[in-house]
Amino acid sequence: MSRETYQVPNLTGASYGGGTTGFQDAATFTIQYICGECASKVSLKRGDPIRCKECGHRVLYKERTKR
Amino acid sequence: MAPSAVAPTNQSWSVEYDTVRREKLFRDPPKDRSAYPALQEALQPHIESFNRLMEPGGLLEQGIKDIGTKVFLDADPSKTEAGAPSPNRLSVRVSEVFLEKAAIPPSNKHSTRNREIYPSECRERHATYRGKLRARVQYRVNNGDWQETIREMGQVPIMLMTNRCHLENCSPAELVQHKEESEELGGYFIVNGIEKLIRMLIVSRRNYPLAIVRPSFQNRGSTYSKYGISIRSVRPDQTSQTNVVHYLTDGNATFRFSWRKNEFLVPVMMILKALVETNDREIFEEIVGSAGSEGVADTFLTDRVELLLRTYKAYGIHSKAKTRAYLGEKFRIVLGVPDDMSDEEVGNEFLRKIVLPHLGSHNVTEEQDKDKFKMLLFMVRKLYALVAGTCAMDNPDAVSNQEILLGGFLYGMILKEKLDEWLSSIRFAANEWLQRTQNNFNTQEFLKEFPSRILKRTNENIGGAMEYFLSTGNLVSPSGLDLQQTSGYTVVAEKINFYRFISHFRMVHRGSFFAQLKTTTVRKLLPESWGFLCPVHTPDGSPCGLLNHLAHKCKIATSSVDASALPALVSQLGVTNNSSASVDENVVVQLDGRVLGFCSPKQARVIADTLRHWKVEGKNGVPVELEIGYIPNSHGGQYPGVYMFSQAARMIRPVKYLPLDREDYVGPFEQPFMSIACTDPEIESGVSTHVEYDPTNILSIIANMTPFSDFNQSPRNMYQCQMSKQTMGTPGTSLRYRTDNKAYRLQTGQTPVVRSPLHNDYGLDNFPNGMNAVVAVISYTGYDMDDAMILNKSAHERGFGHGTIYKTKVIALDENTRTRSSKNISKLFGFAPGGAVKAEWRNRLDEDGLPHIGMMVNEGDIIAASHSVTYDGATGTYINRDGETELHKYKESETAFVEEVRVLGSENGNEPCQAISLKLRVPRSPVIGDKFSSRHGQKGVCSQKWPAIDMPFSESGMQPDVIINPHAFPSRMTIGMFVESLAGKAGALHGLAQDCTPFRFDEANTAGNYFGEQLRKAGYNYYGNEPMYSGITGEELHADIYLGVVYYQRLRHMVNDKFQVRTTGPVTALTGQPIKGRKKGGGIRVGEMERDSLLAHGTAFLLQDRLLNCSDYTKAWICKTCGSFLATTPTVAEAGPKRKATSAVRCRRCAHHAQGYESKSEVWEDGSGIRWTGGENTTLVAVPGVLRYLDVELAAMGIKMKFDVGP
Repeated sequence: MSRETYQVPNLTGASYGGGTTGFQDAATFTIQYICGECASKVSLKRGDPIRCKECGHRVLYKERTKR
Repeated sequence: MAPSAVAPTNQSWSVEYDTVRREKLFRDPPKDRSAYPALQEALQPHIESFNRLMEPGGLLEQGIKDIGTKVFLDADPSKTEAGAPSPNRLSVRVSEVFLEKAAIPPSNKHSTRNREIYPSECRERHATYRGKLRARVQYRVNNGDWQETIREMGQVPIMLMTNRCHLENCSPAELVQHKEESEELGGYFIVNGIEKLIRMLIVSRRNYPLAIVRPSFQNRGSTYSKYGISIRSVRPDQTSQTNVVHYLTDGNATFRFSWRKNEFLVPVMMILKALVETNDREIFEEIVGSAGSEGVADTFLTDRVELLLRTYKAYGIHSKAKTRAYLGEKFRIVLGVPDDMSDEEVGNEFLRKIVLPHLGSHNVTEEQDKDKFKMLLFMVRKLYALVAGTCAMDNPDAVSNQEILLGGFLYGMILKEKLDEWLSSIRFAANEWLQRTQNNFNTQEFLKEFPSRILKRTNENIGGAMEYFLSTGNLVSPSGLDLQQTSGYTVVAEKINFYRFISHFRMVHRGSFFAQLKTTTVRKLLPESWGFLCPVHTPDGSPCGLLNHLAHKCKIATSSVDASALPALVSQLGVTNNSSASVDENVVVQLDGRVLGFCSPKQARVIADTLRHWKVEGKNGVPVELEIGYIPNSHGGQYPGVYMFSQAARMIRPVKYLPLDREDYVGPFEQPFMSIACTDPEIESGVSTHVEYDPTNILSIIANMTPFSDFNQSPRNMYQCQMSKQTMGTPGTSLRYRTDNKAYRLQTGQTPVVRSPLHNDYGLDNFPNGMNAVVAVISYTGYDMDDAMILNKSAHERGFGHGTIYKTKVIALDENTRTRSSKNISKLFGFAPGGAVKAEWRNRLDEDGLPHIGMMVNEGDIIAASHSVTYDGATGTYINRDGETELHKYKESETAFVEEVRVLGSENGNEPCQAISLKLRVPRSPVIGDKFSSRHGQKGVCSQKWPAIDMPFSESGMQPDVIINPHAFPSRMTIGMFVESLAGKAGALHGLAQDCTPFRFDEANTAGNYFGEQLRKAGYNYYGNEPMYSGITGEELHADIYLGVVYYQRLRHMVNDKFQVRTTGPVTALTGQPIKGRKKGGGIRVGEMERDSLLAHGTAFLLQDRLLNCSDYTKAWICKTCGSFLATTPTVAEAGPKRKATSAVRCRRCAHHAQGYESKSEVWEDGSGIRWTGGENTTLVAVPGVLRYLDVELAAMGIKMKFDVGP
């Protein structure tokens, strides 16, 4: 298994099945963002307040890639 | 800490490229100071004026003093019966105001480390950079002890880089740390993420009585003449009050002022008598002169002064106290003073607030009243001189009689007025409390409830009012602040490129009142402006001459200089109190609108010269920024005297004082009467006192960037100033942290080969604005007519002019952002849990309902998803009930890429995501139709990208990047462009940075020769021409071609934002004609004149196509018999299973009711089931849809239209 081979984008493990099956745990996913102040990774779930866990900053950036 | 051995950052620049030095500055921003002091200097007026507000003894403190104590009574003293206890007095005053720096609210418990809010966060969050305003309010009842409470007055926007900003005194390195430009300048506010600045406004010069001749003065009353003396008197808090003394045709004089937008007229004698204890003789002698002086011989004057004194006798008011009481009685209501104040006290208030407040507006002493008295007498004297024709009128449009209202000062004026308004509004809240509780002020309950109940009911949100002012530019003010306009005070500091940005801060507006004026006198460029306002840098079109820019060396005084030594100095120099109306005998000496005394005209000259010498030398406490306006005696010229000014808001500029060879500052008032040589050879011995440091000092920053502008025809330099501000350049290096609605960026910017040293002084290489192009002036392709330019396709492929547009879109879920808490959130980003999620949505969006970064979006693509929720208090989660996902779409037609996705939190740090900010990148490589320009007002549109193989080439194998048509030159006479081409070519060949400062060459040593010799040294033709070969045939062209290097700018006007084509498309429902507007896919109107020209060309088919077929072409039924559109009606098939009736349209008017015996085939039925016969003579015609509409409209008015249908 070489690193060069193409790997299908795999977003949240098995949950990404395509089609209308959707993703079952829509309420429980976590996504990582980057803090606009200290650049640390911030994991947020749906409905979480927007702030950096480290510094309390109020602007988060979406990550460029998850791979 | 030991002093570091590192040398401070070098701040001197030359014309050189300094590539390594700039690279180092960029990689490693200095930790001590900026390398570009000139840039910071340019912004000083804005920042310093804001700093004046809050500093100790600052403007706001002065303003609070002026507001004073407000007194409210709990009963009306006029209505209380005799013997009843007098009403209680509630006194309220603001004793101090604090403005805090921007910080997150205390309710946010999550941020412990850093509670400061930096400007970059406000930009990113589309929020306002503001700090909490608090006021210490003191109150007492009757003569009790003062009680204190601190009120929060909302959050007030803060100007960046000022003493209320976190970025003050930050080094470039720290600025970069805080996500700012390394050369961040400040001077603007951030309101809802948009950078706003208060623009500088021209107002008339403070504390100087202007002689005005204005025909509109005659409209004030029957005897009013056009003559008046107007003085804009400025209080220490920078608010102003204009006083005018009018001349009446019978010889009398009236004092006029405007208070709370109403005008009032008072006999000038009444004011004089109220100011000091005086008598008629004193007034007469103060105006005319003592017995034996020349003034007494002037019968014109003595007659009028006599009349002035005599007519006042009619009032029969004698002492100072009685006059004040009389004034007080009349102005009691107008001034809004407490009811229990005596008339005389009200009169004192009147004189304090309204009459020449610059001479005393707080705790006015008798001495100050005497000053006011003298000044008013001087105004009367000048008025009579104006009427007699011994002095000329002052021009209110000349810079010498103007000063600049700075943004910070205006901000302070509004803040003061809002505080005043708020204090007055306590009356209503207190009255309400009285009514509700049936109590009086002198109770324990009142004192207890005053802050909590009464003050709470007032509108304390001053911060909101200030934010409103900044975001709209509208001034909401009961007094009007003595200004002529109510809107247009703020502008967006657009960062299209750095030139645009910086010129916003050097911009001076004459006032939007003058924009509507039909006369053009205010727009004229007057010689007085020399060195203060740039003669080149003003837009053409409607704001021409009203919107000026400061010359780059022009400074604006932001605080008063210490002139306290002057009265003593002046009296040592022989100034006395004796005066005469004759200016040949003696002239006035004034300091900041205060009469210091009088002296002979000869002495005046000596005084002015002596003070000037001391001022430059710095001796005897005469500050160098003092303005000493010496106006010599003349025959009917400006009223003579020595007028000195030391206060803020004056324009000043440095020139060299010849006797001492030192720097002196001159102001616009004194300049017209000084002899300042422009260059050293022009110095006239015995006449010139000063010499300019550089003739280019008269130009603005932008105008200085035009190379060899002295070679160009002057309008071309104006066009260049316009175009450099529309260039797609480099807005800054912190683009990553900016969220401008639209930002333009040039990907391949270069430093110009031909530049002036100021280019480096202002650090403009940090913000490249164009690229050097090899330009051939040749008619070659046939695509170069009418200012078109040909782009070399290979140059284009190498990246010539490649640009990008960044657009920021905010997707906010909840519009009413004010009253939000975690409980009443109604929407969340993401797909509705439990709802169906289509695969195509999932491909485009991430699980959080936000787009992936780098994703390409086209029109109609989804860029975000959200769903509605309700808060479940039990679990503390948000529950979606409908399972429906709302999609947010990209609506623009152009392909873009998602550059950044910002998830915006709230200030409190406890809300889920309610808004995102998307930055989209639109790549814009040059296409045919894009606009380019050189730096000489020579704009052109790219008409063709010509293949490199077909381009002409020179003997050395060079190909031009750009071809322009030679016809662009003869009529425009932009010789500067030729010289730039020459200089650029020589510079590129030798690796030189070429100095293009104007006024460096002359007839003896010409620019052509200088650069020609350089070219010759490099082995090229002296004249810049070269033999060239056709790229198609390879043959040598018959003429030598002018080939050189010119700096080209790419302008932001691009076809992709402009093209508008349609054949068919959306139409308006009413008329069926195409709708207007490019955005909506509408058309361009073919109007009457276009129609005329098509008619003249005989292009009937085209006309038919444009005006009918592509517009409101409709087919309509018409009755041929009666000629009506409106009577036709479709027949309806009869009910029942009979034969199908032929559906046709019949005329109801020509038909008759069916009698029942007609044959079935003749009878038809209309929509309402009525049966008819006849009316069959109808036909279908093609008509414009509006014709039918017109018929309907006319029918509604009872007018019938009849059409003859043929053949």
